[in-house]
Amino acid sequence: MTLAVAAGVVAFGVLVGLLSALFGIGGGIAMVPFMVLLLDRSQHLAEGTSLLVIIPTAIAGVIAHHKRGYVSFEHGGILAIGGVFGAFIGAKIALSIDEEMLQTVFAIFLVLMGARVIHDGRKTAVREAAGSSEGSAT
Amino acid sequence: MSGLLGVGGGVVMVPLLVMAVGLTQHQAHATSLAAVVLMGAVGAATFGAEGEVDVPLAALLAAGSLFGAPLGARIMHRAAEGPLKVAFGVLMLVVAGMLLWT
Repeated sequence: MTLAVAAGVVAFGVLVGLLSALFGIGGGIAMVPFMVLLLDRSQHLAEGTSLLVIIPTAIAGVIAHHKRGYVSFEHGGILAIGGVFGAFIGAKIALSIDEEMLQTVFAIFLVLMGARVIHDGRKTAVREAAGSSEGSAT
Repeated sequence: MSGLLGVGGGVVMVPLLVMAVGLTQHQAHATSLAAVVLMGAVGAATFGAEGEVDVPLAALLAAGSLFGAPLGARIMHRAAEGPLKVAFGVLMLVVAGMLLWT
């Protein structure tokens, strides 16, 4: 990896952090297509790498939220027990299907998430418009 | 789903925690992150066992992301969120199209 590419990757990481905070989406959904389309990595490698990135970023998130008392470790623990099992099975399935198939599955997930973000955005826009007209009335 | 798609899974867990357990949106988001840590570890280890993890690449992305997230949280309230979200959602659909095309 050249220095220029490395700098580009770090810059994209900053963007991922920004996006996940702004739009309430995880970083994986942005990082995986970035690695596949721009860095020419395989879908499998992109997903495995994305999961590794998620560990420190989620830890940072937990620390930030825990300070404000938002983290319920009891519920988090219960979720994790099921989640860990599911993550293992999911990864095994991903590793057993071919590149093209996995990419298609990911693209379908991206379409669903995109539709959700658009829906969210339209709702927010309506609320913002209502909020600003209320503001001018008072 | 997290393991299959290489993503966190908050998308599924947050609504579950809000609806089934009755946590607030904020609590649910924070709590799902705690589960994501362990799920990411298991998922990454499973992909890693097959050589499907690029550690240096992950380190660069994580470094940038750890810097960007607090920045995003700070400007979150200032941005006109609605139209921005719609634009981003459209971008996601375009990227999905590109993935299907290649």
